[in-house]
Amino acid sequence: MIEIAVELPLAPFELRVAVRLGDGVTAIMGPSGSGKTSLLEAVAGLRPRARGRIALDGIVLLDTQSGVRLRPERRRVGYVPQGAGLFPHLTVMGNVRFAARGAGSRVRAAIESLELAPLLDRYPATLSGGEQQRVALARSLASDPRLLLLDEPLAALDVALRERFVPYLLRVHDEWKVPVLYVTHNVGEALDLAEAVLLLRTGTVEAHGPALDLLSRPAMARAAEAGIENLRHGRIVAHDDQGGTTRVQLDDGQALAVPLSSSRLPGEAVNLAIRAEDVLLAVEPLRGLSARNIIEARIVTLDRVGPDALLRCRAASASGSEPRPWLVRITPSAVDSLGLVSGQRVWLAIKSHSVRLL
Amino acid sequence: MLTAADLAVVAFTLRIAALGTVLIIGPGIAVALALARYRGPGKSILETLLSLPLVLPPTAVGMLLLSVLARRGLLGRWLDAAGIQVVFTWKAVLLATMVMAFPLLVRSARTAFEEVDPRLDGLARTLGCGPTAAFFRVTLPLAWRGIVGGTVLAFARALGEFGATVMIAGNIPGRTQTLALAIFQASQVGRDDRATTLAGVTVLIAFMTLWTAEWLTRRRNRRVAT
Repeated sequence: MIEIAVELPLAPFELRVAVRLGDGVTAIMGPSGSGKTSLLEAVAGLRPRARGRIALDGIVLLDTQSGVRLRPERRRVGYVPQGAGLFPHLTVMGNVRFAARGAGSRVRAAIESLELAPLLDRYPATLSGGEQQRVALARSLASDPRLLLLDEPLAALDVALRERFVPYLLRVHDEWKVPVLYVTHNVGEALDLAEAVLLLRTGTVEAHGPALDLLSRPAMARAAEAGIENLRHGRIVAHDDQGGTTRVQLDDGQALAVPLSSSRLPGEAVNLAIRAEDVLLAVEPLRGLSARNIIEARIVTLDRVGPDALLRCRAASASGSEPRPWLVRITPSAVDSLGLVSGQRVWLAIKSHSVRLL
Repeated sequence: MLTAADLAVVAFTLRIAALGTVLIIGPGIAVALALARYRGPGKSILETLLSLPLVLPPTAVGMLLLSVLARRGLLGRWLDAAGIQVVFTWKAVLLATMVMAFPLLVRSARTAFEEVDPRLDGLARTLGCGPTAAFFRVTLPLAWRGIVGGTVLAFARALGEFGATVMIAGNIPGRTQTLALAIFQASQVGRDDRATTLAGVTVLIAFMTLWTAEWLTRRRNRRVAT
């Protein structure tokens, strides 16, 4: 449980945020200049003018009324700023063990989690944006934080790298059990990563709630245009050189035909992405269609996202306790003319060329 | 060739320049850091005052120092009472070189500190460093090149200081005479051979100084850049 009740004067307005956040991943969203980064810095202890109260699981970091203001080095709050903020004069190893010169096991675990072993002797200037973000994340984890603050970790990455980084973030949250506050502009990312969304506008909380509930809000609609994607993890099954496709089995059991990628070995793990607007939807079984992938599913929710409709559909064949839904983005007129409602049986068609291997 | 007197001048000059440089490194870094981080009123006035010795004629600086340090001057009165003689001694040489070299060191070091991303200091704090540790582990190493550069410039300036020195320390062979002063005196009395030899020695020392600085910063650079 993270309690935040802070006030911080900023140039054009005052940041005033009073929320209680859960221990999962909370996405902080809102237009540029709405105070997202300032909020993270106040929590990290880098804003001396912040007033109010901040507590983590009952441990008070800031309470100006009773005169408590823990210095940043005493807060155990990991902060990954925009652009990673690596120390350029230290190697990857030097960066990762910066905080924990004694605690070798945490350093080793962080290096393993983020797969940094091949990079340890490199200097930050020689790393790609995605690699820098992984190093910054490992550096924070090695300091044994009680809370992780990530400021747009994916903003500087192009789409392909971005999607390759998401699995690391999910793994960090699962393996290290650290609550995460995560600034992003990307609704797709928020859906993928966050349980809750905190929406800021000119320094105040405009909305706070489960990620999906907020998507129907007009304020989110513009951000949603950035693109919503289905991100999936799976394994290569086989290559069909004649047919020009590679067969992939997703973690939930679903098989997919994707463009031929013969450089990957059968059994190899892959991440793939399909845009929500690249998924076709039919209300009857499909025949005689060129699309190689047809998935029988059921509509779970139907929301308005800006000018479009966003559907979440559960595949009939999906196994596992909580299979990830397929996100489908279509026009409201398609919803009307097909008479779509939640619970309805549908067939999703995905061209193999709409699937991008990451 | 170099006589014993020449060697003494060279040794005296090197000692004074080295001591003066070492004495201003600490305060110079502190002032540079303060200027780089300070964002309050009077910042530009402060910066201008500190850079003033760079543009004033050294003899004017020497004159000001002299008026402060003279027996009836602001500081001189107090020094005289304590029985400390500064003017026309090696201490005056040291003081003149320090005053003239200080702004050069501060200027380079300040630019170097300003070029260090200020967020890195805060990040080091979130990673468990106190303010002092953050300075020594992050800010200082990142500003290293500029500080070395500034130190070398300061040392070179100290080696060549003439105007302020001659005003407050005079040109007393064996007591306050540095290379620059000895070259001037030799040429004044028609000893051109001696003046040329001493000038050659000066060139050599200056070359070694700059080359060492280049080597120091180059070695460090190779690891960071590419």
